[in-house]
Amino acid sequence: MTTTPSPSDRPVGVDLQESEQNRAVIEAIEADNANATVRHMPGMVRVQAPGRLVINRESVEARLGREWETHEFQLAIISYFGHIKDWDDDQILIAWDR
Amino acid sequence: MPVKAISEYKFPSKSRQELYGDDQLVHVWWKDNPWFCAAACFRAPRAMPWSDFWSALVVPFFEEDPDWSPDQQFAFSIDGTPVEPKATDTFADIGLVHKGVLAMVRA
Amino acid sequence: MTIAPKAPRKLSMKDRYSALTRDLAWDPSYVTNEEMFPFTNFEGITIHDWSKWEDPFRLTVDAYTKYQAEKDKRLYAVLDGFAQSQGHLGLTDASYLNAMKLFIQGVSPLEYQAHRNFAYLARHLNGPGPRFAALCQSLDEIRHIQTEVHTLSNYNKLYTGFHSYVWQHDRVWYLSVPKSFFDDAVSAGPFEFLIAIGFSFEYLLTNLLFVPFMSGASFNGDLPTMTFGFSAQSDESRHMTLGLEAIKFLLEQDEKNVPLVQHWIDKWFWRGYRLLALVAQMLDYMLPRKVMSWKEAFDLYFEQQMLGGLFVDLAYYGITPPKFVEQAKEEKEYLSHQVYWTLYQFSHAASFTTSIPTDEHMEWLSANYPKFDELYKPLWEKEKRNVAAGGRHFDRGLPELCSVCQIPMLFTEPGDPTTICQRHSDFEGERFNFCSDGCKNIFDHEPEKYVQAWLPVHQIFQGNCGGASIPDVLAWYRMNPEDGGEYLGSTDHQNWLAWHDMAEKTGGN
Repeated sequence: MTTTPSPSDRPVGVDLQESEQNRAVIEAIEADNANATVRHMPGMVRVQAPGRLVINRESVEARLGREWETHEFQLAIISYFGHIKDWDDDQILIAWDR
Repeated sequence: MPVKAISEYKFPSKSRQELYGDDQLVHVWWKDNPWFCAAACFRAPRAMPWSDFWSALVVPFFEEDPDWSPDQQFAFSIDGTPVEPKATDTFADIGLVHKGVLAMVRA
Repeated sequence: MTIAPKAPRKLSMKDRYSALTRDLAWDPSYVTNEEMFPFTNFEGITIHDWSKWEDPFRLTVDAYTKYQAEKDKRLYAVLDGFAQSQGHLGLTDASYLNAMKLFIQGVSPLEYQAHRNFAYLARHLNGPGPRFAALCQSLDEIRHIQTEVHTLSNYNKLYTGFHSYVWQHDRVWYLSVPKSFFDDAVSAGPFEFLIAIGFSFEYLLTNLLFVPFMSGASFNGDLPTMTFGFSAQSDESRHMTLGLEAIKFLLEQDEKNVPLVQHWIDKWFWRGYRLLALVAQMLDYMLPRKVMSWKEAFDLYFEQQMLGGLFVDLAYYGITPPKFVEQAKEEKEYLSHQVYWTLYQFSHAASFTTSIPTDEHMEWLSANYPKFDELYKPLWEKEKRNVAAGGRHFDRGLPELCSVCQIPMLFTEPGDPTTICQRHSDFEGERFNFCSDGCKNIFDHEPEKYVQAWLPVHQIFQGNCGGASIPDVLAWYRMNPEDGGEYLGSTDHQNWLAWHDMAEKTGGN
């Protein structure tokens, strides 16, 4: 890379298994992150966004039609880039520090 | 720089020359022939004359190349310094130490 | 999945984490802290306050066991379904399994080593937060090797090369590369291990290993491997977090830690990168149906995500990108070709097979690598003529090895992909050879460590590997004649053709 992008636009993202369950999670991420882009690769889906990516429990539950605790995200995730800044009962936030 | 360790850290080399008795290891690197992915490693007697080393070990290895010609002449060097081995030279005579690398290119 | 509706909880995730990890720790009263944790001082790392360690996953033992059990259930359902339905017949080709042979021989035993060393960290780190994270990772790693072995054991019933991976890992020339890598890490102190495996391997480089492997499995009909891979990777994101928290913690605790951490990043980036040379050739040569080229994977997972993302953050602490990273970037054009050419000419002494790339495969290589036609295609064309004349390029001897990474010295000079790179150092009157400036730099920093390296070629010549002839050594390796060599006409190839003929004949019934 020849230029250093500012913190707000260096991409962060997650790789998720492509599955029926995870479709709701992916849709929730797309809905809650305005600039999110989705790339399909064999068996997996990569969702990335500039600067920060948020996963909201309520958005996932609304699409899944059942309760979903944020720990369940561990069954979906393959990899990520960025820092996991916060992970609590309601939200998971991935962003760079700077 | 010494290894940081919880006690004295000193172990002998597992490749030192004395483990090979009267022999040593020699690498031969055919520098301008990508057919061979890497230099070859041989174990040979330290007293072995160059002509024997060449005909008994080096040629049988390199003639696996289908373009090998027994008439091919080579220029030799060790760590960038040209050497001209004579038939009776030992490794010591041409300056090839244990685990040293003899490079050759088509002359 | 059926997860029962949640009962109302008294504690939030944050409070539960605090109660179940940190609140269960205690200060020793009849031994000193130094006596209780004797191994966290000798490396020269300064820690002022262990409670500053962050664990963003806030994982507790109840949540851990619940979700790990669910992951295993999903995996074993897939394994059964695949075995019961003769799923192996749906692979793209039997040659695909060469990648999996290399995986179980080279990578799975590392999971076990990781399990052991994280158990050690779970005992010996001073802070309860990192101890618990290390304990979870230790359990993850043993789960990984167990599930990998279970998954691939189905292939072992029908295909060659899988049968003696544990024995071979400790002995075979190409497996000394991953083995010595991990031996180097587990024989370091706990902090170096955290940077070596937790950060450099699990965060910087793991995506390059696992994601292409698993996508490759998915693309080549290997459902069980894809599933174990994704199952393992879901733990891996926790491991990445542990590695990242470790480095930030060390850097924030004391400025004096910065140069030590930088050196470990430099060293372990290069060690890990050299190890991934095996993955590079797997992506570009061993997968019958390609997912992405090594070059593309390196660009995406390393250059964009790590150099463009992570290292911008780490610059705040004074950390710079790893030494010799420019060499790795340059090599992405050449690496996989050089490594596969090497495996090709030594596969008579391997527990996998190789073959000349097909015409279609060569077109793909040309399209993805601008230098392929000039540098590597002529070698394959020459080998085609050699094979047509009844030959097969198998080396008649043993290669020169690098004294640090233990890979045959096949890598080329910076700026000159036609000349092999030769470096050496003299230590206590003895000469040691290296494949690169990166490996020489590592040796020069700690020569005492690498002089004791068990280099397979040197050991064979000392008579420590079963005998002086290749058949003697192969017998000692527990390699059967059908395990290695040329793929075309091999036992796996012949079986594959027979099974598919049969499938066609009975298919219409």
